[in-house]
Amino acid sequence: MGQTQTAVFTHIRKRDGSKVPFDSLKILEAIRLASEAVPENKIPASELAPLTKAVIERLPAGTEPTVEQVQDMVEETLVEAGYFTVAKAYILYRAEHAKVRQSKDDLMHIYEQLTFTDARDADIKRENANIDADTAMGTMLKYGSEGSNYFVNNYILPKDIAGAHINGDIHIHDKDFYMLTETCCQIDLIKLFRNGFSTGHGFLREPNSITSYAALACIAIQANQNEMHGGQSVPNFDYSMAEGVRKTYKKEYARALADFKALRGENEPGAEEYAEKTAWERTDRLTFQAMEALVHNLNTMNSRAGAQVPFSSLNYGTDTSREGRMVIANLLKATRAGLGNGETPIFPVQIFKVKEGVNFNPGDPNYDLFKDAMATSAMRLFPNFSFLDAPFNLPYYKPGDYNTEVAYMGCRTRVMANVHDPDRQVTCGRGNLSFTSINLPRIGLLAKGDEKKFFALLDERMDLAFRQLLHRFDIQRKKKRFNYPFLMGQGIWIDSDELDPTDSVEEVLKHGTLSVGFIGLAETLVAMRGAHHGESEASQELGLRIISHMREKCDEQARNTGMNFTLLATPAEGLSGRFVKIDRRMFGEIEGITDRDYYTNSFHVPVYYPITAFKKIATEAPYHALTNAGHISYVEMDGDVTQNLEAFEAVIRCMKEMGVGYGSVNHPVDRDPVCGYTGVIYDVCPRCGRREGEELSVEKLRELRRKYPDMPVGKCDC
Amino acid sequence: MEKNEVKTVGKGVKFERIRRITGYLVGTTDRFNDAKQAEEHDRVKHSITTAKN
Repeated sequence: MGQTQTAVFTHIRKRDGSKVPFDSLKILEAIRLASEAVPENKIPASELAPLTKAVIERLPAGTEPTVEQVQDMVEETLVEAGYFTVAKAYILYRAEHAKVRQSKDDLMHIYEQLTFTDARDADIKRENANIDADTAMGTMLKYGSEGSNYFVNNYILPKDIAGAHINGDIHIHDKDFYMLTETCCQIDLIKLFRNGFSTGHGFLREPNSITSYAALACIAIQANQNEMHGGQSVPNFDYSMAEGVRKTYKKEYARALADFKALRGENEPGAEEYAEKTAWERTDRLTFQAMEALVHNLNTMNSRAGAQVPFSSLNYGTDTSREGRMVIANLLKATRAGLGNGETPIFPVQIFKVKEGVNFNPGDPNYDLFKDAMATSAMRLFPNFSFLDAPFNLPYYKPGDYNTEVAYMGCRTRVMANVHDPDRQVTCGRGNLSFTSINLPRIGLLAKGDEKKFFALLDERMDLAFRQLLHRFDIQRKKKRFNYPFLMGQGIWIDSDELDPTDSVEEVLKHGTLSVGFIGLAETLVAMRGAHHGESEASQELGLRIISHMREKCDEQARNTGMNFTLLATPAEGLSGRFVKIDRRMFGEIEGITDRDYYTNSFHVPVYYPITAFKKIATEAPYHALTNAGHISYVEMDGDVTQNLEAFEAVIRCMKEMGVGYGSVNHPVDRDPVCGYTGVIYDVCPRCGRREGEELSVEKLRELRRKYPDMPVGKCDC
Repeated sequence: MEKNEVKTVGKGVKFERIRRITGYLVGTTDRFNDAKQAEEHDRVKHSITTAKN
């Protein structure tokens, strides 16, 4: 058998032009693989050899066939033999390989770009605005990241998943970290500080003052950030730091008492009153200094080889103890004061937890701090506001127990429910394991208004995302405790303190979440109904049905697997432009869908659409209840918001009443580095009167400095 | 001596514009990626009415 065919071709020409010996078994293997991808139309084993021969017979005799030619013949032969679905699988397989090869070719080109182009000219270097890719270490990090992506695409991911990512059906976030670690964690500093801890590079004993509490908080965030690819959050910052304040007060009280007695004698009355008053004053001052140092540290200390500062989030607002209140008030004060030259601090992301009976209404013990938080946010954009009374956050809440207060990562990630262990629906020690987003507008573009088709495609994409998340988890679960000297070695991740160094982390990781996200609900609705949910009730109705369906599917997947599958309103910084770029190539420029450089964030009403603040909140609020892996809504306010705190408060109160989980007010915060003015700058700086790029006389600057002594120094020689 | 040489500062220095991206802030908008710069550019303000009736 086959004596003629096998003798005809001795070599085959590969894509790179090289020649390799012709091997008919490779053709048979390719057909078998395609066949196995479609169990319902599988080719019987006995048919494989005859099909292979048929392929070879179709090749032009006496030539050196190319790989492409062979693949074309495989397709034709399969179609002719009636194996249509196998042929389709084979075509897909080919297309995916082609895309993967494309990315292989591009790697060295990417390295070239990373090396020889500045960030302002290369979008790839501004994927994440908080990474400085122009520095040596930032570039090194990008080399690693791009190389890792190449490895994962070509050697790790199942081909259909790699293909779906590359063609933009889905987006696997932080894919460069696929083989390494998890996204983020909510750190319980109270537990960590007890009896001291080790960063992996040295042991630190239990802190004894608010000064060292704040310093160690930064170190803990920094150490953990280096073991995970996302951000780090402290869910109970006020409660954690209050312990340090207590210790400082005790020391200051003893010192003041001793001073009094040394000066006035042992029996002079009034010693205790003096000591108490003096100690609180000193403690308050020390707490301010500690918070000021913390804000400075979190904006300057290095992480990830110096390319970034740690991505830090602090939640607070509900500790009503005198010490806890002192922490909150001073952190807000330090935030208003700003950095060295009065700049707005970029980190930590601050989240003020709003709760009825605690801080929401006049008469609540922390109402003054809520007001203070709004005034601070009006000036510095932080804090954001989370709402513990939202119907989906309230059921977990137990008064005074921070572990039951829902916290948010600054970017919006939320972790609370726990199907793996329903007794551990807690905040501390948990986080997201990984997340993957679905390109919703593309499904809308493909379905063209046909709902049945839309939901069928959506289910297909979600099943693919579930499979991919589990594929990634299968890699994550094989790590040992010793792979995470800080996160696990110091017992920060829930239950990790019960593991031996060589134990697998599988069981404890199951407390984390696997999230499916989405982008561009607005464009999806335009594709399906010709209008987005901000402008049409019918579109809002469909939007809610789509996102409810996605949530139900996540819940179902969670029940079936015992893993915490959750639905995420994806933050999408790097992703905001990626899908639309590919979709514009596929579908052309379509008004309201692919005609901008970005897809609208998650379930947001498009940023360009004029709508009142309250209508926007009312439209977006129902989606907060559905997206249990995290969400955020914004309102854009005009002008100098510090002069309009009443309106600011009206927005925050509206968010709370409408059932928003996490929200914030955006407003312009500009700064002129020359004179140091911070506030709204339109065309002309209100302080020094210069326009952007214009020069200012040293004389004028000197004059201004007399009026504003906090003006930055070092920019000039005056 | 007749002509006064005026010393100046700030030529070419831009204003810093700090905006929220996805829950967090970034230093200035020139660190935004192209898509986010486009989005930021398109943002419109939302009117707020505080009247209770």
